[in-house]
Amino acid sequence: MGGAPTNGHAHGAEAVHRPTLEELKERKIRTRQRVHEGQETITVSMGPQHPSMHGVYQAVVDLDGEIIVRTRPGIGNLHRGVEKLAEQMTYHQFIPVTDRLDYVASFAMNHGYCEAVEKLMGVEVPRRARYIRTIAHELVRLANHILWLGVHIMDFGAQTFFLICFRDREYILDLFEMVCGARLTHSYARIGGVSKDLPEGWVGRCRSVVEFLPKRFDEYERLITANRIFNKRARNIGIFTSEDCNAWRITGPTLRSTGIARDLRKDEPYAAYDEVDFEVAVEYNSDVYDRFLVRMKEMRESCKIIRQCLDNLPDGPYLAHDAAHVLPLKKNVLRDSAAMIQDFMHVLRGPQVPKGEVYRAIEVPKGEMGVYIVSDGGPIPQRLHLSTPSFYHGQAVPPMFEGEMLADSVGIFGSIDVVLGDCDR
Amino acid sequence: MGLKKLIKTATFYEIIQGMSVTGGYFLKDKVTVEYPKEKIAPHPRFRGMHALITDPVTGRLNCCACRLCETICPSQCITIESSESPDGDKSIDVFDIDLARCIFCGFCEEICPCAAIVMTSVYELATYDKNDFFLDKEKLVANQVNAHKELNRR
Repeated sequence: MGGAPTNGHAHGAEAVHRPTLEELKERKIRTRQRVHEGQETITVSMGPQHPSMHGVYQAVVDLDGEIIVRTRPGIGNLHRGVEKLAEQMTYHQFIPVTDRLDYVASFAMNHGYCEAVEKLMGVEVPRRARYIRTIAHELVRLANHILWLGVHIMDFGAQTFFLICFRDREYILDLFEMVCGARLTHSYARIGGVSKDLPEGWVGRCRSVVEFLPKRFDEYERLITANRIFNKRARNIGIFTSEDCNAWRITGPTLRSTGIARDLRKDEPYAAYDEVDFEVAVEYNSDVYDRFLVRMKEMRESCKIIRQCLDNLPDGPYLAHDAAHVLPLKKNVLRDSAAMIQDFMHVLRGPQVPKGEVYRAIEVPKGEMGVYIVSDGGPIPQRLHLSTPSFYHGQAVPPMFEGEMLADSVGIFGSIDVVLGDCDR
Repeated sequence: MGLKKLIKTATFYEIIQGMSVTGGYFLKDKVTVEYPKEKIAPHPRFRGMHALITDPVTGRLNCCACRLCETICPSQCITIESSESPDGDKSIDVFDIDLARCIFCGFCEEICPCAAIVMTSVYELATYDKNDFFLDKEKLVANQVNAHKELNRR
């Protein structure tokens, strides 16, 4: 990979200047040349309690004047030992814990985990469940990007925009509250489907939200895209080329802002992504401004995906009928003795899992999230490893900060969308 | 293109455009509610404080002390103790939920084979005393008035 960007996507009428990799490198070097070697530096600790830092990330920066020479990242302030917890819980019990990984996009984490477990157990997910998962996943992507946008623009000094974004995110959280009972920690995906069917009136409400959000995005664009302060501040900072991205395992919108159209929804489709029509958002300048543009495009594409899924939403079961691996439906448990036995067996003995190892990666709002499970045939995983995007993004901060101004560092850090629950685990 | 851009820069076009969006909100209806005075009712599936359901006819607890909820609970916040009378009737002696541990995942409600434990829409759980987080059987039974009618269906 790497090299000059090849994936051409329609960019509207006007031709877009696509900088080559050499140009980008040159631009980056030009910013880094501001570093004067051998000068005395002062050390400033940003975070974990710094008001402008995202979450509990710590960046100890060595400054030459206002320019960052060196950065030492500090993570682990939110470490909860999630991978170790998984070794003490049945596959089903671990679902609420995945909520707490990336608490901004909980459902995406549930989804990734359940996809991996289904691959291990060989569970076939019903078509309706796959559609519901796609809708929920895209809703959570919208919620994540809207929240990111508000906070990111606030990093550059705009207060009002934060409130506008939070208002619009509320519509999506309401949809989730309606369907699964929680606004943030959804726990909605189950092994073999989703926990509850869509309630009455949900489809209409969801459709009205995705019809109306693109109008709000136009509003965002009017506020931000051409704004001279944002343009001056966000362009040409935090340049991270496609080569750097591959070296540091950067995925998601940050990678797509370098001209590489890598998106697991397209490349390795899961859920219902192979049945919907959407474009992968790509930009070419690899800087903070283009990461903003990629996410704006992605939000519009998400609305498109949800609209298609709602139009083609099939009927049928929302949870697979598979007594060995999947929990029974509650209404059957209350009526049917076989389902009740299945219920008891699942809780007391756990699902019947084959021996083996499995890796499954999906595209969550922040990048690629992978789950690696080693099973010894018991009801609990022998080892469960999570590969979450924020961890890789967080470790790429030192090369990204190098040679940039201290005042821009918060904006650069915000642009790669790190959530510390996802990073520290 | 150059001239157009110059004029746009000189006239602060994009600033005015942005301010028109912000200014437009002076004329629009507010979307917020003044929380303690007005409240938004949660949706029926909301996972709030738990409740134990009693049979409306006999007044006995629906719970059959199978301890599935205790087993499935990922945060292990439920404690159940039961005893059996000589004629085979099980009775619940202790049914405690430690809300400070609970993560409101709703598994107890989902797994219950008797539809005995449900989650209600009570969400104002903040308190000055930690002991208030400790829910015993009486408190849980008293909370069933807040349980939604549509519950126990998945």
